[in-house]
Amino acid sequence: MRNRLLAFIGVLAAVVAMGLVVPAAGQAPKKYNAPKTPWGDPDLQGVWNDATSTPLQRPGNVGEKGVLSDEEAEEFQKSLEHDLTRDRRDGGGAADVNRAYNEHWMDARRLKITADRRTSLIVDPVDGRIPPLVAPSPERRRAQAARADGAARFAAGLPADFTDMSWPVRCVVRTDVPPYLPTIYNNNFQIFQSPGYVTIAPEMIHSARIIPVDGRPHLDKSLRQWLGDTRGHWEGSTLVVETTNFKSEEGVLFQGANPATFTITERFTRVAADAINYEFTLADPMTWTKPWTALIPWNKVDPDEQMFEYACHEDNFDMVHFLTGARLREKNGER
Amino acid sequence: MRTLQSLVVAGAALLVLAIAAPALSHHAFSAEFDANKPIKFKGTVTKMLWVNPHAWIYVDVKKPDGTVEEWMIETGTPNTLLRRGLTKESLPNGTEITVDGYQSKDGSRRANGRDLTLPNGQTLFLGSSGTGAPDEKKK
Repeated sequence: MRNRLLAFIGVLAAVVAMGLVVPAAGQAPKKYNAPKTPWGDPDLQGVWNDATSTPLQRPGNVGEKGVLSDEEAEEFQKSLEHDLTRDRRDGGGAADVNRAYNEHWMDARRLKITADRRTSLIVDPVDGRIPPLVAPSPERRRAQAARADGAARFAAGLPADFTDMSWPVRCVVRTDVPPYLPTIYNNNFQIFQSPGYVTIAPEMIHSARIIPVDGRPHLDKSLRQWLGDTRGHWEGSTLVVETTNFKSEEGVLFQGANPATFTITERFTRVAADAINYEFTLADPMTWTKPWTALIPWNKVDPDEQMFEYACHEDNFDMVHFLTGARLREKNGER
Repeated sequence: MRTLQSLVVAGAALLVLAIAAPALSHHAFSAEFDANKPIKFKGTVTKMLWVNPHAWIYVDVKKPDGTVEEWMIETGTPNTLLRRGLTKESLPNGTEITVDGYQSKDGSRRANGRDLTLPNGQTLFLGSSGTGAPDEKKK
């Protein structure tokens, strides 16, 4: 299946060469005029869903193509669905246990590629890949290695204590830290607006970002927060959001970016009554050799669908189970 | 030499961690449940703990010697089921289900419910499509 897809796409890629390019990120179709709030800001309010199977980075099996034809897209989607679906039991116990539950527990929308048939959510660089990592300083290398040791103990089922669990596993922060990326479920985001503010409440997990759009300056660099310090402004119908001042804990930011030098710029553009283009650019000279940008479509959910609370912490028995399991295995000499 | 080897291993682990982080950030199931302890048995539902981040189904399992064991079965988030129009009343006490999953690493009577089926062979809570979820109604 994979090989056929590869050959098929390889031939087409050679013929079409660079004829097809990714549409300019964040660019709204000219004819659509976003509705306005009573106080005159573009209206982004509603519940939106960002689920998709289109991978962040372009997979090796699609060659250099940024956008697929209808036929190629169908095969691409089928191949991704095969990889992602939980309604399969092959691959042995290790793979099976990590699939956890069958598909009825999952967001079915995550099995579809984006409507624009792209091969990666990343639009810049044009190869659809995250730029090479910068070699970390000795100090960062030590911090990252300590975090990696904890993660390895956790993955082996032998966490030393709760700090070996990552921030997302501990329900401290998860997909509420930007950039917002699609996941297996709870892919909804509710946007609220009031004069001078835009608020984004993700369904996973519990923190809403309150974004001032009234022109006030950023907080002092010494004030650091889990979701960073966010300021927004309008450029035409696009909400541009710049966030910095993330907390200094290792392992909170995407790919272990360095909190002191990391910035994220997000652009929210309503491109149809039922669609927002969500584009983000990550920049951190301590982590990536150059900034990079991804574009993820947000689709308005059916009015019958609502946001649900995701109280990650309150009944999170898993933390106790992880630790009791580890202590018992130690006692049995499995360490 | 040993240091170099450690460095390479640590570097490889970091790279893997960096790349895999988004996919794994939700829950490392293999850290809680044991791939070497697959379980499959019939049980009778006695309680549904309808909580985030994971719902738990309690079942009584009758052993060949006539004694009964209580097992806790971990499932996904209730949010997904609510979105599909299902509630905890959708699985009343007394329902007989087959549990196919993996036992917890601490050997206690907990397991993840990888696949749950009703006596008639139907997958519990139906399958991935045609569930009546709001986003599927129009299709």
